Amino acid sequence: MSPLGRFRAPVRTKGDGFVIDIGDDEAALIGRLSAELRALLTEEAVDDTARALLIRLFPVAHPDDEELEAEYQRLMREELVASKLAALDVVDRAVTDRPAKVDAAGLLAFMQSVNSVRLVLGTMLDVSDDPDAVEVRTGMESTPEYALYGYLSWLLEHSVRAIQTQ
Amino acid sequence: MPTTLEPTVVDEPAVDVDVAVDNPWIVIVWNDPVNLMSYVTFVLQKLFGYSLEKATELMLDVHHKGKAVVANGSREQAEMHVFRLHEHGLWATMQKDGPSE
Repeated sequence: MSPLGRFRAPVRTKGDGFVIDIGDDEAALIGRLSAELRALLTEEAVDDTARALLIRLFPVAHPDDEELEAEYQRLMREELVASKLAALDVVDRAVTDRPAKVDAAGLLAFMQSVNSVRLVLGTMLDVSDDPDAVEVRTGMESTPEYALYGYLSWLLEHSVRAIQTQ
Repeated sequence: MPTTLEPTVVDEPAVDVDVAVDNPWIVIVWNDPVNLMSYVTFVLQKLFGYSLEKATELMLDVHHKGKAVVANGSREQAEMHVFRLHEHGLWATMQKDGPSE
């Protein structure tokens, strides 16, 4: 296609559903990230490093009450993990069967997973929205992780636009 | 039959005051530099049925003030809201409505 060819959004509406249309390299990358996140979520013995990376995926619900928090985690943690794993299944299908056609629930699951990976990368990069500070930890601006974070933000932004136009 | 009312002793039921008082819980979404503003707005619309204007207003409160109350209800309802927000990757907590202790 000509470099001047018309831009096609990576996520767009089609009929009563959506198309997720990402390139080979991006699909391979997202597939790998999905597998890595799945491994983190299913690890039986979670070490401190993994626990720190996952902190944004499992926020505290009751910051002021340890007893209620323990009960919340006992009742909800497993279900939250299952929900995140089910959403990753949609990503795995989207990167192997391209362009993937999905319904609104499928696109939402895709968005949840893309955002989950962004949350892990954001934690790794120490992302900040402090206007007086650089966006990420010093030295991380030129890393592949930061480029990846930017790409996933772009992909999620297009997903939001697509789902909101329907 | 007596024509005047005699005082009677009433056995008050032994109930937990916290249970008896209608004290709804609030659900708070906190600012997180990772979540996109457009995504937060979309999630608030989807989960709570807010209009784009209302969801945008709440998102901007989260962004500028650091947090916003997005829902309230019984403890069970609040926990379900928090769970759904966590499912979508938002930083949400819950607490009893009213002044902080």
